[in-house]
Amino acid sequence: MSFLSKLLFKNKTQDIVSGNSDSILIKGDELRQSVDRIFGRSLFVRLVDTGSCNACENELSALSNPYYDLERFGIKFVASPKHADVIIVTGCLARNMLNPLLKTFENVPEPKFVITAGDCPETGGPFKDSYAVCGPVSKYLKVAMHIKGCPPEPEAIISGFLNFMDIVKISF
Amino acid sequence: MNKMKINANIIDSNDFARLATHVKESGRYLLGIAASDERLKGSGFKIRYFFGGKNLIDEYSVSLPAGDGSFQSISKICPAAKMYEREINDLFGLTPLGHPDLRPLMLYPENWDFSVHPLRKDYNNVIPEFRKYGDYKYKEVSGEGIFEVLVGPVHAGIIEPGHFRFSLAGEPVLQLEIRHFWKHKGIEKICEGKNFNEALNLVSKVSGDNNVNIAASYLEAVENLLNIEIPERAKHIRVILAELERIWNYVRDIAWIFMDIGFALPAQNLFALQEELMRLNKSLTGSRFMFNALIPSGVSVDFDSSKLFTIDNIIKKVEKAIKESEAFILNSSTVLDRLEFTGKINKKTAEELSLCGISARASGLFRDSRVEFPYLIYDKFNLKPALLESGDVFARTILRIKEILFSAKIVTELLFNLPEGKIITSYENTAEPYKYAVGNAETPRGNAFFYIMADGDGKIFRLKYIDPSFRIWPSIQYGVLGDIIADFPLINKSLNLSYSGNDM
Ligand code: SF4
Repeated sequence: MSFLSKLLFKNKTQDIVSGNSDSILIKGDELRQSVDRIFGRSLFVRLVDTGSCNACENELSALSNPYYDLERFGIKFVASPKHADVIIVTGCLARNMLNPLLKTFENVPEPKFVITAGDCPETGGPFKDSYAVCGPVSKYLKVAMHIKGCPPEPEAIISGFLNFMDIVKISF
Repeated sequence: MNKMKINANIIDSNDFARLATHVKESGRYLLGIAASDERLKGSGFKIRYFFGGKNLIDEYSVSLPAGDGSFQSISKICPAAKMYEREINDLFGLTPLGHPDLRPLMLYPENWDFSVHPLRKDYNNVIPEFRKYGDYKYKEVSGEGIFEVLVGPVHAGIIEPGHFRFSLAGEPVLQLEIRHFWKHKGIEKICEGKNFNEALNLVSKVSGDNNVNIAASYLEAVENLLNIEIPERAKHIRVILAELERIWNYVRDIAWIFMDIGFALPAQNLFALQEELMRLNKSLTGSRFMFNALIPSGVSVDFDSSKLFTIDNIIKKVEKAIKESEAFILNSSTVLDRLEFTGKINKKTAEELSLCGISARASGLFRDSRVEFPYLIYDKFNLKPALLESGDVFARTILRIKEILFSAKIVTELLFNLPEGKIITSYENTAEPYKYAVGNAETPRGNAFFYIMADGDGKIFRLKYIDPSFRIWPSIQYGVLGDIIADFPLINKSLNLSYSGNDM
């Protein structure tokens, strides 16, 4: 068991924040406060990949690693659209994914918001000229917020959530 | 320069169908099938079959005279051909005669008019109206007490879309049917008419987390085509970056395996390590995924001694962490309980489906492009990738650990023996019309195979890419048989295939 206990006494997140990424903590604090106020302490997010290169999902997954630990700010990725407040869309919107995207969106209870992550859902990205792509996502759904980047880095996604809070604040 | 020998044969479709048995029996295996529309050139449609063997690629090219819309299927002799033939049926409208399953693959009848075949050169770029043209028929399993569990295309986690249908009798899985290609993006078509540089950006986005190795394969093909010999230093840097990609991919994969068996602590430890590796990538290349680090005729990044030192440090850290993880796995009966005998793909299945990469090597099948088709400087190492026989999740996990240590050794060796010199060379951008070349590289998932045909203006006439995931996905349908459905996520993670690379 020594391997596990060794890990237990190493607090990664602390180490990291005091290291080179102070900015995460500052953004995170603001984010925490907004989520508390606007979404009653928890913002539930459901991902729909509509045809990405998978780099964007990798960065979204990275948000849960000990360096970023997104959940400490009140944001959680959930398994079902029925639990979600927000759907975050990645990918260029391949034709074959249009119906699954719309169905997922239908199943999110009101009030609901769409955020896109990466250049793909906003413009089609490198795939925009293809016969197999029917994006951008904004053709079909009202998008509250585009997070730019190819792919957006985890910090950019955290900033994106923060900007999203600002937008929502106005409408609440 | 191209060390790969291609042994080209021109043959009639009927004759080839007869010959296929013989080819297979001689120990060669299907690397891929590429169709192209060469009617403009006057040679009709071509279907090229590539078979791998040691240090040799056998190519059989079959011409279909214009007007002939069919060819002989070899799927019954060579099951690995099944998906390629369905793909050709979709994209070129050429029918493989005698194929057991000709349901559309990537062009969904739910939204696409099947009389339109986008990879034909006379396709007029008019996209069919988005409406229902037909139904997709799933396989049916019936019998007392049998029920179905349908999963996806949108999944519970942060993963890509795919549809899985399990037929169960009690807990054990009787049958799994996978429907993929939800993410079909038509990348091969958009590469046509692009120059080699523009297409590089597209092929890097075939499967982002493997982009360095995929680019290495693409550039191998391009550099063969244009007769470019890249500088030694660039070759070394390419290998360092490719091996770093392998390391961060496998660290992540092992973390997910821990996660799926409920060991969050060691999992998070490795996720943190993955993050450190991705930050290293960024400090070396400006991108956490090392996008655009490899370019035609060389690399876009050079290393000074401080960078080499940073790499060396983190590699030492990886080695230590991975050895600890290995000890943890081997010493914990609860971990072993979940990993051993789960998701078994036996050698015969691996052979019939022509698997590659870790998935093949875990089932006792030696497939590693770095050794079979040495590219860059891989022939300088005496590479002996590990081989395991059990074909289960355990074997795939342990192989990843061995591979990480192995890649760490390669990187360390290169760091201290980096030749001086340029990292890029000048080159002529055009090849003769209809000249083609192939490229191979071993990505973290297995063999990445490119077939590229040039037009006369330095642009791409036809590009075919075969992702390892395309070859390996069907094997999961066998791997889960008899296992309980709750083990599926674990089995899936142990192969960790790309949906994006598969769907293209
Ligand atoms: S935005 Fe870029 S990184 Fe993200 S899925 Fe699209 S191509 Fe990949």
